[in-house]
Amino acid sequence: MKRKAKKKRTVGRFIKKTLRLGVLAYAGLFCVFYYDLDGKLLYYVVEPFLKNHFDNMERRDPTTVPYEQIDSEYM
Amino acid sequence: MKKPDLKKLKEVDFKKAAKDFVYGKPHGERRLGDLYIPKTGLYKHREWRGIKDTMYYFNNIWLYNYGMIVRDLMVYGGGPKGAIQFLKGTWRYRWMGQTYLTVMHWFDRNLEGMRGEALRGSAWHFRGITSACLLQITGWFNRDLNIGGDAALRAKTIGHDETLWGGIFYPYTDQGIENIPLQMIPYFVTCHCNNHTVLNYIDASQAYGLPGDPCPMCQAEAGIFIEDDVPDSYVALITTNEACDGSVGTSVIQDWMINKPLFAMPQPMQFDDDSVLENCAKEIEGAWRFTEEQLGVEFHWDELVKRLEQQNELQRFEWEKWDVAANTNNYPINGVAQALYRIFQSQYGDRPLWHDVDKRVKKIMDKCVEEKINTFPMTRHRVIAWSCAPLYYSAWCTWAYNCWGLNTIINMDSLMFDMEIRTDSYENCLLDMAKYHEWAPMRRMAVGGLQHIFELWENMEKFNCDMVMMYDQLQCKGMQGVVGLFEDEFRARNIHAIWMPHALPDKRTVPRSQIRQIINDYMFTVMGEEPLDPSLLDFDDIDSW
Repeated sequence: MKRKAKKKRTVGRFIKKTLRLGVLAYAGLFCVFYYDLDGKLLYYVVEPFLKNHFDNMERRDPTTVPYEQIDSEYM
Repeated sequence: MKKPDLKKLKEVDFKKAAKDFVYGKPHGERRLGDLYIPKTGLYKHREWRGIKDTMYYFNNIWLYNYGMIVRDLMVYGGGPKGAIQFLKGTWRYRWMGQTYLTVMHWFDRNLEGMRGEALRGSAWHFRGITSACLLQITGWFNRDLNIGGDAALRAKTIGHDETLWGGIFYPYTDQGIENIPLQMIPYFVTCHCNNHTVLNYIDASQAYGLPGDPCPMCQAEAGIFIEDDVPDSYVALITTNEACDGSVGTSVIQDWMINKPLFAMPQPMQFDDDSVLENCAKEIEGAWRFTEEQLGVEFHWDELVKRLEQQNELQRFEWEKWDVAANTNNYPINGVAQALYRIFQSQYGDRPLWHDVDKRVKKIMDKCVEEKINTFPMTRHRVIAWSCAPLYYSAWCTWAYNCWGLNTIINMDSLMFDMEIRTDSYENCLLDMAKYHEWAPMRRMAVGGLQHIFELWENMEKFNCDMVMMYDQLQCKGMQGVVGLFEDEFRARNIHAIWMPHALPDKRTVPRSQIRQIINDYMFTVMGEEPLDPSLLDFDDIDSW
């Protein structure tokens, strides 16, 4: 009986904890949404970082590709 | 600690504040312009739309769409491997990394001020577009040899100009063939979602020495290749001359830099001539032979019929939507959602995701009609938008409704593919496909001859519009030629028309604030009206996405 009650209590505590965490996560996400924190992170941090990366990336020079014309007939 | 100002507290109408909290502020009191952080377009906080609509936006739009983006990446990408390819692609390509992560702000801009069923119906359209984008993005990256993609998948893939209708490839879809429009994701949608990216490609073209005065769309599309920002995901490509000779110039650059087998499939200018239609049909058959030879596939008539019938189903629902938009005030889709969804869907071709979105939108629209819900209750003028729109400010429709009560009912690009395709015989089917191909974006009306660009008058009547938003693409030589003719007609027909100058993807030529100023000036001086939301008249969003 005692073991069963203990198990019940543990399960109850786990559910309560999960619910509490869920509510907290939901409230946190709502704050991110309402205060446009996702937009601010992307605008002030992510985009400048990626822009810097793309600006300094080494790229192949496609103008070195020889211009050839292969004639074929499909009409 | 500062003492609370009791005088001010006494002035607060708590009953009104509680009502605004529960139901949201009425249209005239919202002051949406006060929410912006200057220059950036970011929000100090997102709009409070009342409990019901704010929670709908948070749960069913913001959270749901972030979640569905992850779901689409996993499903379309084929599991964790697809997610890894997506990350690699995000790191490799500017048009991906710098653009699409900001997608939820694109939703925000276009859905500002929307409430109830209009919010729901419009948001589903953006969900459809986002999903279609992810289908293409994962399609690119899974096959891309530049980032370790699958060569076997690449061998079954054909690239094509974005203005070439995806339906051309229907006969092969049951054989694992994928067609990817070359510019739809790297160029077209980027301008709407985050218009910073495209400027790099325009500048790349001009820095290379190409002239700066042709259409900036063609410049940007060429710039993507000059910047070497195109995935190596396909074995051959089909190009078109659509919409003009500037585009032909882009094809020359593409042909050179891609260096893969290419089939040029022109779209005739004078398409009303029957002999031109027959020639166009022959070109479609030529494209089929090219595809079969390059990809090692066979022509499957049954598959073509099946896919065309599905596409016809999409068209029939579009007509139903137009009917509601034209004849009632119960249409739950805003101007920008209507325009972007329709052009994307009709150009990309039949895909299961469109049917899913249409089912959901039909449910919302049926409810609006049955319950006679006035979806845009502050409408002062019913607007038809004509010619090619500024891609960097497609959200002007949302702004114009919030600020002035200008409700954009329909636009030119929505109306171009106004047909079903017959599937009763090979001959009829081919001729209808040719006609559909000829009626491509910017071709049927914009550069398709005077009688077609003047289809404006009949559509204005059909959709019960009392005002025209006349787009004026400053670098489109075709449309520049008819400005005077339109001026004469507007005067003769006594039509209120606002000319909106723009340079398609390039916000530097005519900034968004200038577009707003032009509309403001017309509404104040010609119409003699006052704004619904004065905070939206003048604000600085020069550096916004």
